[in-house]
Amino acid sequence: MTDPVILLQILWTGIAMSSYFVLFTVAFALTLKVEKLWNFAQAGLMGIAFYTMFYTLNAVHWPPWLGVGAAVVLTAAVSIAVEVWAIAVLRRRHSSGLIFFIFTLIFSQLVAFVLTLMFGTEPETIFPSVMSPVRIVGGVAMSDWDLQALGVTVVLLAVLYWLIRHTRDGQFMLAVADNDKLAEIYGISAKRAYLLSGIIAAVLICAGVYLYGTRAGVTPDVPIGLVLTAVIATLVGGLGRIFSAAIAAVGLALLQSFSILFIPAKWQALLLYFVLFFALVLFPRGIPVWRIRRAKPLAPIAVAQAGD
Amino acid sequence: MTASIGRRTALSLPLAALAVSAGRARAQQKEAFRFGALMPTTGPEAGYGLDFVKTYEMAVKDINDKGGVNGHPLEMLVLDTQAKPEIAINAANKLIDVDKVPLIITAWSSVVKAAAPIGNRTKTLELNMGANSPDIANLGDYVYTVFPLAEVDVTALAKYTYAKLGKKRAAVLYINNDTGIGGAKIYRDVFTAAGGEVVAFEGYDPKATDFTGVLLKARVGNPDVVHIHGLSELPQVIAQMRQLGMQQQITSYSAGYNPKILSQLGPAAEGLIVTSLAPTSAANPNVAKLLELWKQVGRFPNGLPYLQYAWDSTVVVAQIYGWVDKNGLPLTGENCRKALLAIREFDLPMTGKLVIRDDHRIDKPVYLYVVKDNKFVLLDTVA
Repeated sequence: MTDPVILLQILWTGIAMSSYFVLFTVAFALTLKVEKLWNFAQAGLMGIAFYTMFYTLNAVHWPPWLGVGAAVVLTAAVSIAVEVWAIAVLRRRHSSGLIFFIFTLIFSQLVAFVLTLMFGTEPETIFPSVMSPVRIVGGVAMSDWDLQALGVTVVLLAVLYWLIRHTRDGQFMLAVADNDKLAEIYGISAKRAYLLSGIIAAVLICAGVYLYGTRAGVTPDVPIGLVLTAVIATLVGGLGRIFSAAIAAVGLALLQSFSILFIPAKWQALLLYFVLFFALVLFPRGIPVWRIRRAKPLAPIAVAQAGD
Repeated sequence: MTASIGRRTALSLPLAALAVSAGRARAQQKEAFRFGALMPTTGPEAGYGLDFVKTYEMAVKDINDKGGVNGHPLEMLVLDTQAKPEIAINAANKLIDVDKVPLIITAWSSVVKAAAPIGNRTKTLELNMGANSPDIANLGDYVYTVFPLAEVDVTALAKYTYAKLGKKRAAVLYINNDTGIGGAKIYRDVFTAAGGEVVAFEGYDPKATDFTGVLLKARVGNPDVVHIHGLSELPQVIAQMRQLGMQQQITSYSAGYNPKILSQLGPAAEGLIVTSLAPTSAANPNVAKLLELWKQVGRFPNGLPYLQYAWDSTVVVAQIYGWVDKNGLPLTGENCRKALLAIREFDLPMTGKLVIRDDHRIDKPVYLYVVKDNKFVLLDTVA
């Protein structure tokens, strides 16, 4: 198992498989950062996204781009509806964090039950076939799905980075994330920031669901498990750090993949919860590796202030 | 002349209808004989579970249309297990304590095991009709199987792979639950005893979607056959195996005999060898009748061989209840067990002769199928 080709194969597949994990994590971390919301309703959005694609592509035979487009539109619409008619209402009532948490969880369960009634509980994939063409590069098998997954994830993360760092709406989102009351005093619409973060999360979720659903079978109760893994990566990456959470997601996926070298495969899932347990106990604000990178630029300022 | 025939016809039609429905009417007059069914009607295994339930309903209707059990209509109560033991325990308690059924039919190894202590404690007969963990034979006095346990088809498959296919090095991959662990151990032991070498023996998490690690572990052992003892994730395991460039012969058990695998894998399924424990419609005309009933549902059912056992298990229940009733005994679990052992040999419409053995096991011929041109083609029959 220590053959370089095998190690490279595990590395490559681990990175490819982390793609949807990263997208779900970033979607979760973004709403947590901007809205301060542990949004388990995203499991419901995942279910809506998947079954919209499944239905439009398999029952009404739309072309893939149209089916995926329909899923994005519907998922974003539901995300907006939840924000406007539920989350905003709870926010106006100054409801406790626990009420938000319970509401989002119930929403996801409600969606799962409705989807079960509509589509049953047999595992389904977006396309009838789960096969993807493969090329061997240096002894490592690279499937079209792998390349597609990496391409989609990198492009979406790059767009998100640009949006957050270089657009007014992105900066407004950060301002609201930092202090929504102060942001509103400066004329920034927190409501718009919340809606925008919800829409971005919906797009990321659709992309993640597309990648997941083209590779593995999905049932209405699968999304809640996917959100849990996103929560783990968000906690490990550190609350409020979107891209650190993405790196944590890749790290956790690789940790799981490479663990096969040391432990039986049947224990791989346990590893995630093992990491979460220790991360929560030892590093409640996230593993420091991700924090050091942000701490460095502050040092000269501190020195300058000391000099003053 | 014409008028005369018309009158006769007009008179005879209601009489004929009356005669046909007489049995049904008799069956409706007497108290219903009820039995319980623990099946996954929701959750990932519902694809099979719902089709089992549909088939029970067909069989119950068929029995009742023919007059029921000594004039008593047969009635089935189904409770959902999601194929999860913790849910099965609650459902079994409800069927026994509230609905007072003397007999329960079940499937899925973990469910059969979970319900077994309850059946033994309350002296309720539990009949397994679809699970194949070898442990089922040792679950107690009130747990019997009408479905061959893994040792029947997996033993036949492992021996056939070594002796007839000439494969000497096997990798065994299995889903880490009762079904997978039990079946995989049998395959390993039989293949090794036959003279082969098991070069990898790896379980994977039931919720896993990436099987690269276990497949690479298997590849390192350089096997010439890979046996996968999985459930609904089987197509994903095979797909990823082929995508990793592993072209070895793949075998699986009866869960692999599923048309969905063919559509999900396409050409990648070619050469896959699976087992089946029931004859096809070509060998048994009753199976064709079952398929006709499924045509009315509008689709081909999942896991046809399992459905043949589902039908036959309903017939077994009817015969057990018939024996108890005929002997003037109260319909209790104890008497149902007594009936099962007294009848012992059942001639069943879908799967042929069934003999209940004292060791709680049964024997059946094993049908081996290979995927050829995207179809399951009979490869051999192992008696």
